[in-house]
Amino acid sequence: MRGWFVVLGLATLFTHLLPLSAMSRPWATPDLMLGFAFAWSVRKPVYVPVILLGLMLLLSDLLLQRPPGLWAFLGLLCCENLQSRAKRLRASNFAAEWATVIALLVGTTILYRIILAILLVEQPNLGSQLIQTITTILYYPVIVFATHVLMGVRKGVPGDMDARGGRI
Amino acid sequence: MANNRSNNQDYTRPLRRLILVVVSLVLLATFLVWRIDSPRVERFRAQVTDRIVPNFDWAMAPVTGTVNLFRDYQSYNRIAEQNQELRRELRKMQSWKEAALQLEQENARLLDLNSVRLDPRLTFITGVVLADSGSPFRQSVLLNVGARDGLVDGWATMDGIGLVGRISGVAKNTSRVILLTDASSRIPVTIQPSGQRAIVAGDNSAAPPIDFIESPDLVRPGDRVVSSGDGAVFPAGLVIGQVAADPGGRLRVRLAADYERLKFLRVLRSHPTEPVTDTANILTANDGTPAPENGEEVPASE
Repeated sequence: MRGWFVVLGLATLFTHLLPLSAMSRPWATPDLMLGFAFAWSVRKPVYVPVILLGLMLLLSDLLLQRPPGLWAFLGLLCCENLQSRAKRLRASNFAAEWATVIALLVGTTILYRIILAILLVEQPNLGSQLIQTITTILYYPVIVFATHVLMGVRKGVPGDMDARGGRI
Repeated sequence: MANNRSNNQDYTRPLRRLILVVVSLVLLATFLVWRIDSPRVERFRAQVTDRIVPNFDWAMAPVTGTVNLFRDYQSYNRIAEQNQELRRELRKMQSWKEAALQLEQENARLLDLNSVRLDPRLTFITGVVLADSGSPFRQSVLLNVGARDGLVDGWATMDGIGLVGRISGVAKNTSRVILLTDASSRIPVTIQPSGQRAIVAGDNSAAPPIDFIESPDLVRPGDRVVSSGDGAVFPAGLVIGQVAADPGGRLRVRLAADYERLKFLRVLRSHPTEPVTDTANILTANDGTPAPENGEEVPASE
């Protein structure tokens, strides 16, 4: 299943990199890589180990022309947070999970811009980045639907066994 | 046992935390190294892109083809309208052809006056656009020609009609072109016919604004914008576009290149002027031999 996560990450990057048009778009595509990482972290944290997640996020940073490492670092912290909450979120409904994700994403964006501002790095357009955060938040239910239904990555239910036969 | 697994986690949690700290430090270190020594990390980024993106090429072609097919299909529905439009445009084009011929003659006369020769050493390499920048914050494209084709940072890139951008980042098989619309792109230009120098500064919009015009009254929408070659950074005389005024009154350039359909790009080879390495030898008045360098003795003349 971890291999499938890598394939998913590469497919996400592929859609970002399609040379459909060189014109600048006023809207920003949602950050699908982070969205899928969040969805998988909440449902099956076993399938997104830290090293793999760090590598995929760093790769997406490098390929998408962001300052390498910063967004990956912040995304990694958020995913770890979600993974440690996975047990609690398992019992609650989707609204709680979405609220957590919204809070994490907004916090990450703010922290990202603050760190870039402190280190005097050129920042992407504030409007575009806000639109990207908002579209990621709005796309999150679609991402969750895709992981739940299409990929079969679901929350653990009492009675589930993990790969070695122990109970989850 | 409801909490059987948490016993296992007591053993693995410190290890997981350690791995998390190590990976976080690696990511932070990458970011700090990028902040401190950006060219090295950018070269690394170019190499990573070089390795990975061309592997997507086989899949991007059918997907892009399908998307273009959908776009074309929508236009198939309006074939009759398009026919009329095309006829009208053809008539307009013919009048433009006349205007172009006259301008060409005038241009030849003016160039003659200046005794300027356009550089015949501007050969080019043709490349194909592989991928977008992938991010809405950077306007750039990836070309499939790189260092093995002799590309060098800073060369100008055109499509068939006008200037498209600059090479910034060269790897072995691929290279990145920063487009004129990107926020960090600054091109010195000349606005014809008034001959004013200005700078076209991209700001992530489709029509980059023109800055630093000396007398804005002499510039009107419709004037041609060509590269001026100031600072020997870019070759001179490359078509960039036309001046247009946006609703706020700001002067912008409507780019001549077709940014919606960038496929084949030409990278113009422009070799920089030779650097001067010799010290200036002073010719003395005595017998024309140059003055001695440091420490050398002048041989007594016979």
